[in-house]
Amino acid sequence: MVAAPAGESCHRARMPAYKLQLNGREVVVDGVEADMPLLWILRDRLGLTGTKYGCGVGVCGACTILQGGQAVRACQVTASEAAGKRFTTIEGLNDHPCQRAWLEEDVAQCGYCQAGMIMTACALLKNKPRPTAKDIDDALSENVCRCGTYPRIRKAVLLAAKLGAGR
Amino acid sequence: MTLTRRAFLELTAAGGSALVLGFDVFAQAATDFAPNAWVRIDPNGVVTLTVGKVEMGQGVRTSLPMILAEELDADWERIQLVQGMPSAKLRGLGTGGSYSIRAMWMPLRNAAAAAREMLVSAAASKLGVEPASLRTEKGFVIHDATGQRLSYGELTTAAAKLPLPQSPKLKEKFTLVGKRTKRIEGQSIVSGKAVYGLDVRIPDMLYASIERPPKIGGGVRRFDAAKAKQVAGVIDVVQVSRGVAVIARDSWAALRGREALQIEFDNGPHPAWSSEEYEQQLFEAAAKDGISTRTAGDSKTILGSGKQVIEADYVYPFYAHAPVEPMNTVAHVHDGLCEIWSSTQAPNDVQDRCAQLLGIAPEKVSVHTTLVGGGFGRRLGWDYALDAVEVAKAIGKPVMVFWSRADDMQHGYFQAPSVHRMKAVLDEDGLPVLWHHRKVSTYHNARRQVTSAQLQDPEYHRGVSWGVYDVPYAIGAIETAYVYVPTHVPIGPWRAVFAPSSVFARETFFDELAVAGKRDPLKLRLDLLAAAPEIVEAGSLKISRPRLRRVLETVAAKGRWGEKLPKGRGRGLACNVYDGVTHVAYVVDVTAVKGKIRVDKVVCAIDCGLVVNPIGIEQQVEGGVIWGLSSALKGAITIRDGIVQQKSFADFEVLRMNETPLIETHIVGADAPSPYGVGEPTVAPIVPALVNAIYAATGKRVRRLPLA
Repeated sequence: MVAAPAGESCHRARMPAYKLQLNGREVVVDGVEADMPLLWILRDRLGLTGTKYGCGVGVCGACTILQGGQAVRACQVTASEAAGKRFTTIEGLNDHPCQRAWLEEDVAQCGYCQAGMIMTACALLKNKPRPTAKDIDDALSENVCRCGTYPRIRKAVLLAAKLGAGR
Repeated sequence: MTLTRRAFLELTAAGGSALVLGFDVFAQAATDFAPNAWVRIDPNGVVTLTVGKVEMGQGVRTSLPMILAEELDADWERIQLVQGMPSAKLRGLGTGGSYSIRAMWMPLRNAAAAAREMLVSAAASKLGVEPASLRTEKGFVIHDATGQRLSYGELTTAAAKLPLPQSPKLKEKFTLVGKRTKRIEGQSIVSGKAVYGLDVRIPDMLYASIERPPKIGGGVRRFDAAKAKQVAGVIDVVQVSRGVAVIARDSWAALRGREALQIEFDNGPHPAWSSEEYEQQLFEAAAKDGISTRTAGDSKTILGSGKQVIEADYVYPFYAHAPVEPMNTVAHVHDGLCEIWSSTQAPNDVQDRCAQLLGIAPEKVSVHTTLVGGGFGRRLGWDYALDAVEVAKAIGKPVMVFWSRADDMQHGYFQAPSVHRMKAVLDEDGLPVLWHHRKVSTYHNARRQVTSAQLQDPEYHRGVSWGVYDVPYAIGAIETAYVYVPTHVPIGPWRAVFAPSSVFARETFFDELAVAGKRDPLKLRLDLLAAAPEIVEAGSLKISRPRLRRVLETVAAKGRWGEKLPKGRGRGLACNVYDGVTHVAYVVDVTAVKGKIRVDKVVCAIDCGLVVNPIGIEQQVEGGVIWGLSSALKGAITIRDGIVQQKSFADFEVLRMNETPLIETHIVGADAPSPYGVGEPTVAPIVPALVNAIYAATGKRVRRLPLA
């Protein structure tokens, strides 16, 4: 995180508005800092709390969302970087094969990290519709789960691939 | 129990046309009775279970309704669970100790069976038939002779007027209990709709985060909030007990505001404290006798007999809980009342302590418990709820106080470090004839302090040395003891609490003895568990050797124990009985690759008594294995100059998917009459099984954690 430049803060009233595509709709975000992470815009401004805060420094993956078809960490994308881009959060999925597979394999324990896991899996399957076991491990190792759901996630990703998540 | 079961039930008149039975999860005697859970059947047929047990991933919101649906013959689709709010009536909501299912099994069945019997009686009157001619199924009372069916909903009004059955008949065969049943909240979790503490949104809610003294035990001398207040979105800055809180319109502004604070900290009484020095203190104290927790046989004579003595010290570090959801609580203090929303494992404590802080009666404090994004014992503390109440009181508006990941790593309470001094004597045949285990560690101090009476009480010391005094093996002379080395560093419960360090030392040292005595570690365990008596009494625990043998035999068969392995590969074994009731054994396979250890496979055999939900058991085995492997192979907490050195998952590393072995679970012991806990018991024996496998693969004996 960058320390607040002290002299600058008085001029916040004229902050620009940022337009982005979110879950298939255009969203205008105004009154936020250019460097405000998308994570907090989603959670505290737009009320989309499905994207979780786990570390804020890009090491736990709990805030993973899709930018286009790529997995990104919402805590590492600023408002100005997000402008003009297309994002999907967990709320933007509707009966997605990954969600169905997650239910079928009964993956979740506490469930807190699972939105990030699912979004990471969506991105993997978009890019590799038929992933190997190693592809799955490599992609999902970006995300932390403390309850220990990794074995079930492995199975769920394979099932999601079968259900056509990559199509 | 059949004589008095009626005494543990209460028919709630306030139910109106609904049938409501209150029951007590804890009462041991009828005079203790005070209902703290309720089964309610409404005229629309919906069955509601109100309990205080908190869902933190252990599956209790699924398994408790399963028990209810089974005994009531309710329709699984029409059962809902309501999270009880703490009150003078609703006590004992704390969720921990792998105790929910174990504690609720009988009381819940009893209440459900009573409700079922009342519904059947009501139906019998209505139909003018004998109750014995009726049966129940999926929310209906059925008279097979005439084909008549009455729904539970249409019977509640009449049933609620009937007396409570004296001793409701419990089922002998189950259809739902024991069946693989999926998690109730699955859909809300995968759609992102599940609400954890951090997701609570109250109208006009502000966000706050607290800058804390970096040194444990430190304080705030003075601070200047001018720059912080200039940060866009920052609304106010207030000092609270544990630091300086920045209140803002969103989380980001609160975090940025914290960075702009200028604070002069007080370093507190332990500015130079280090975990390394504390470890030295533990080693020095290991020379003391401590408080004896178990004595058997004649150690003195055996030690003087000239037989082979084996000694080793084991070292266990500090760990953080690091649940992925950092600590947080929403509070609103207004009009002499306090409303709280918290992902807590301890709603009663939160209510009591927040009331105490505000100087108001507990009933003025309402606590809404959300889903918990990982508990692991950390959320048995109420410190983070107090943070929220202090800030809310200061600003008079609803506010969420949230901890950053670094706050969570550095300012929580920790798993206690320990040193274990082990000594054994082997006879001419390589059989252990003496076993000494001295645990040197510290008590929990974060939530409650030890009392002076407890300091000398052997039972208290058994309570903090699970895995030490309850050594299950038949060895002629046994001495176990505890040496206390105080610290100001906050210490509190962590998954499996006191067991992991002790079982690591015990089961690894046992492996050392097997190697020294040229005996197979499985065979040696089985031999020492075959001796009389079958039930070992240690403190208040009764440990079943035959049950432990059974999990060992199962895991050995499933894990192909004794198979010859190629060079560089190793197989290790360990077992434990948790709290005297849950038996777990592991076989772990590892491969040494270029000096690094890869864990290939874990096979578990578990006897946790009667099986409620097999999926839940498997999940807790997987979770316990991964939790334990993390602690052995990845990060620990270190403290230098009074400051916790780790700030995130980058420096307190945890196991990732690519390091996760195949995990295979074999459930044995489903023939038991009642269920026991699973969440914690699975943690303790995985680490020694791992390090024993590492020894088998490399010849290197691990006596210090973590390996990294």
